[in-house]
Amino acid sequence: MKGNIELIKNGKRLDGRLAGDLRDIKIKTNVVKNAQGSAYIEWGNNKIIAAVHGPSEALPRHTANPNKAVVKCRYMMAPFSSSEEHGRSGMNRRAIEISKVTGEVFENVILRDQFPGTEINLYIEVLQSDGGTRAAGITCAAVALAASGIPMRDLPYSVSAGKVGDTVILDLNKIEDNYSDADMPVAILPRNNEIVLLQMDGSLTTKQYSDAMELIIESGKKISAIQRTALLEPYVASENKNKG
Amino acid sequence: MRKIVIPGELIDEKPLRILDSIVENNKTYSTIMGLYDDEKKSLIPLEGLWYPNRDDQVIGIIEESKLNTETVILNAPYKGLIISKYSEGKMASGDFIEASVKELDKTGTVILTRPRTLRGGKIIKIKPSKINRLLGKNNTMIRQISEGTGTRIIPGLNGMIWLNDGNIDLAIDAINTVCKEAHTSGLTERIGNMLKSTKSTTIITEEKVEEEMI
Repeated sequence: MKGNIELIKNGKRLDGRLAGDLRDIKIKTNVVKNAQGSAYIEWGNNKIIAAVHGPSEALPRHTANPNKAVVKCRYMMAPFSSSEEHGRSGMNRRAIEISKVTGEVFENVILRDQFPGTEINLYIEVLQSDGGTRAAGITCAAVALAASGIPMRDLPYSVSAGKVGDTVILDLNKIEDNYSDADMPVAILPRNNEIVLLQMDGSLTTKQYSDAMELIIESGKKISAIQRTALLEPYVASENKNKG
Repeated sequence: MRKIVIPGELIDEKPLRILDSIVENNKTYSTIMGLYDDEKKSLIPLEGLWYPNRDDQVIGIIEESKLNTETVILNAPYKGLIISKYSEGKMASGDFIEASVKELDKTGTVILTRPRTLRGGKIIKIKPSKINRLLGKNNTMIRQISEGTGTRIIPGLNGMIWLNDGNIDLAIDAINTVCKEAHTSGLTERIGNMLKSTKSTTIITEEKVEEEMI
């Protein structure tokens, strides 16, 4: 453990969770009227909006692919989103990296060959951050894409795992992210557990890695259920209103 | 039995050829949010995009008028194009038109044919996946709204709708209600009641005004 912070006390983490617990997740769809599809997620203290525009004509024209749609993703943290300085002068190196990997996640999920020569714009805006924003952003953007009607192979979810000392923990918050020994965000397609994103800071042994993946896949069932409930909510609500 | 499915959800254990679905390992999965009917084996999209097909009737707005061609804004990933040999007379930018799709060419432009300028009126955009519900079986729904409000309504499959004359605001309200509740049953009846009740209230207020004036 780096520094002097004790991240696990009596088997409980700083915010009272056990090693394999997720934070509370709430998702709402269609929050931005002018977007093709949008979603808002509250993942613990993370607050993120994702919106989708398109498919539309790819501009500038040289970016277009005549056989497939291109996915252009922009992940950005609001200047007020964290206690450190973020986003004061547009995209920094971290934002560019996350935009790239997030875009690649969705390039593998969207059926791009149905819209040749077009672009799909995906915007992920972090309003408040508390660790694990790229995972929350991907989970939120997947819901926004589904709500926009863009055809996808599956609905991906993403969550991070890490380790403190020898304990593997799930869904790291900001303090754990900064002081833990490893942090591994993973994005997965739930149908066949296909991995579409895997990054890692620090190091894990083979045993720890498989423990972490087990925790992630187990928690993925909960996250997928939350995504599903959020997508169906407007339809279920209007049906109930008519019945009542 | 109808159920709502989301992208990646299993819709059948057998490989089926349904629009908006994929087959993997001899099983069929949905790629969109939709209503799946087990008996009819049909998947109706709840959210979806319009993809140009031959002979689709569309509504558009002229973006730019050049010497021989006009480009058209459609509610779609692709732009429309009218070539002068398919059109009669000149159109100015900003004109509303009704046309049918001739083809989608390799460069990603929708070639339109038989254009007709629509004079005056208003254009609204709705989700293209809701157009079929708005038309209804044998166009019953759209006819009901049109007759109930006295509005001329021309829907385009691309999700743009042209309205003129009559009570346009009420017609737009009705169309929005249809879009919001497209997946529910008994919608035609509810829209009928909505149009009737609004009509009766307007008559009452008119009478009141007359009484007050006397």
